[in-house]
Amino acid sequence: MTAKSEPVQEELVLALPKGRILDELRPLLDRVGIIPEPEFDNDNSRHLKFKTNLPHLSLIRVRSFDVATFVAFGAAHLGVAGNDVIMEFDYSELYAPLDLGIGRCRLSVAEPVALSQTDDPQRWSHVRVATKYPEITRRHFAARGVQAECVKLNGAMELAPALGLCHRIVDLVSSGATLRANGLKEVEEITAVTSRLIVNRAAFKTRPEELHRWIETFREATHAP
Amino acid sequence: MSVPLHQTRHRALLPVGLPDVLPPDAGHEAALMERLMASFASHGYQRVKPPLLEFTDSLLAGIGADTTLSHQTFRVLDPQSGMMMGIRPDFTPQVARIAGSRLSQAPRPLRLAYCGQVLRVASSQIQPERQIDQVGVELIGASQPEADAEIILLAANSLAGLGIISLSVDLCMPTLVPTLCQAWGLDPDTTERLRQALDRKDAAGVAAVGGEPALVLGRLMAAAGLADGALETLEAMPLPAAAEPDRQHLAQVVRLVRHAAPHLMVTLDLVEYRGFEYQDGVSFTLFSRGRGGESGSGLELGNGGRYRAGATQDIRGEKDIPGEPATGFTLYANAVVKTAPPPEARSQVYLPHGTDPQKGEQLRADGWVTLAGLALLAEAEAKAEAIRLGCGFIVTSRDARPVKLADDGSAKTSTP
Repeated sequence: MTAKSEPVQEELVLALPKGRILDELRPLLDRVGIIPEPEFDNDNSRHLKFKTNLPHLSLIRVRSFDVATFVAFGAAHLGVAGNDVIMEFDYSELYAPLDLGIGRCRLSVAEPVALSQTDDPQRWSHVRVATKYPEITRRHFAARGVQAECVKLNGAMELAPALGLCHRIVDLVSSGATLRANGLKEVEEITAVTSRLIVNRAAFKTRPEELHRWIETFREATHAP
Repeated sequence: MSVPLHQTRHRALLPVGLPDVLPPDAGHEAALMERLMASFASHGYQRVKPPLLEFTDSLLAGIGADTTLSHQTFRVLDPQSGMMMGIRPDFTPQVARIAGSRLSQAPRPLRLAYCGQVLRVASSQIQPERQIDQVGVELIGASQPEADAEIILLAANSLAGLGIISLSVDLCMPTLVPTLCQAWGLDPDTTERLRQALDRKDAAGVAAVGGEPALVLGRLMAAAGLADGALETLEAMPLPAAAEPDRQHLAQVVRLVRHAAPHLMVTLDLVEYRGFEYQDGVSFTLFSRGRGGESGSGLELGNGGRYRAGATQDIRGEKDIPGEPATGFTLYANAVVKTAPPPEARSQVYLPHGTDPQKGEQLRADGWVTLAGLALLAEAEAKAEAIRLGCGFIVTSRDARPVKLADDGSAKTSTP
């Protein structure tokens, strides 16, 4: 391995999303052979960057949208992000070489059950949509000639139609239970979502052997039983 | 609703992507650009200077009316002619226009260089600059692999000449994937889906297309990496005959570059396309590995590749003029400055009011930077003034050499 012949191996930073996905990721990290320092599992820790059992590899734990940004800017070299986040930013500096098959859900349009019975999408020219994904939403509606006026929210999208903020939302759906509980109906799936291993483009080009080795290691761990 | 910008505006506020560059950075940048231009000139590339604006008809003829670059073009109405003008978003179409018109009778291959600013409508978070200083060359009228190799090596050697040692060149062949898709008879929708998946190096997205295309493109994508290994994979692949010219040309260029610069890091990406929409042959991106002090992710210093110079479309969109084979590259000054080692600081010496002009002349000839005192001051005051202006030395009537200034007032003579 040429990496060993280099006098000093440069640091490699892996960005991981906080929360639900991280729990699903832990078994994968075990199989890949990355053991974070104990502080990583302390939810109250004020640390943002963590050491691992591998001297050159450190981890950062950030919000899922920020994983893509850290990696696109080269502040982290590798990361784990859903294709919802990747599509929203559409950074040219991001590669997503591997589907990790975790964090499965879908990004969908939902509206109140009552509205879905009378609404005729053919007649739309403008729609107002509450979402965390204004870019994907705009692109999705623009593709069929409808201007989406997006209201950017960071959570609790399901509240928006009930309180009259707007009629429609675009949000992640897994079981659909939250939608049902709020009187909403999923009317259209925009995309299926899974978590991807993402790589910074310049790092991929300038440290090819090292990053290929990581991608392969993750690939093997993903396909392991 | 946020407060409108015009209500909060400070006089020093500048538009997004249009910064002031101050000393010493502005001087450093200019010096680096001059050294690059000198390097190009020493390889026979002569400088041209197209205007900042020209009629959109001619500017966009070389760019294409509905392309990324045309959407990046600032447009203004020329009050004098009543015609629309565009501010150049790139030099290459202008240089190609010159080569195809005023220099159409100049002997080929034609080697031209340029240095100056371009302006783009939109910036992104990652690339916030809208006014970009570019320096580059075009080699027009040559289609041999030797021409591609000359361009790649000129870029690498010129950057190495600035002291940038951790250079890496990523080669690609943007026509390879479209050629393959056409040979397989894929429909436009599938081709577009593949294109998007390949742009993101999304192995699952490529596999989803299925069949031979997914298999071949998946392997080509996975082969990205150090040139020797990637080339081996490419040469061993069974490909449709239509891809043969691309494959052979690329292989030849890789060999020429590897032979001429065995220590240069060269990588190969067989499915790269994004950013190379105008290219029709071997293309490349120049990276600096790691940016001093920051993360080790690398920084893009410039890019280049093969295209048709002077190929234009008429109003009906039919390709009228095929143009000439050409290749070239552009380097971004702002990225080069971040990567190149800073210049050696020159010693500044204060010339008190009334110093013999010949003395100053001699010091400058010896490499000093002189700052002339504009008001007559007593000796102690002159020393304080020199220190205030950042001079390390002062000329006195007693000493032949400039005297070193120290904050404690003690002084020693020295040389620059």
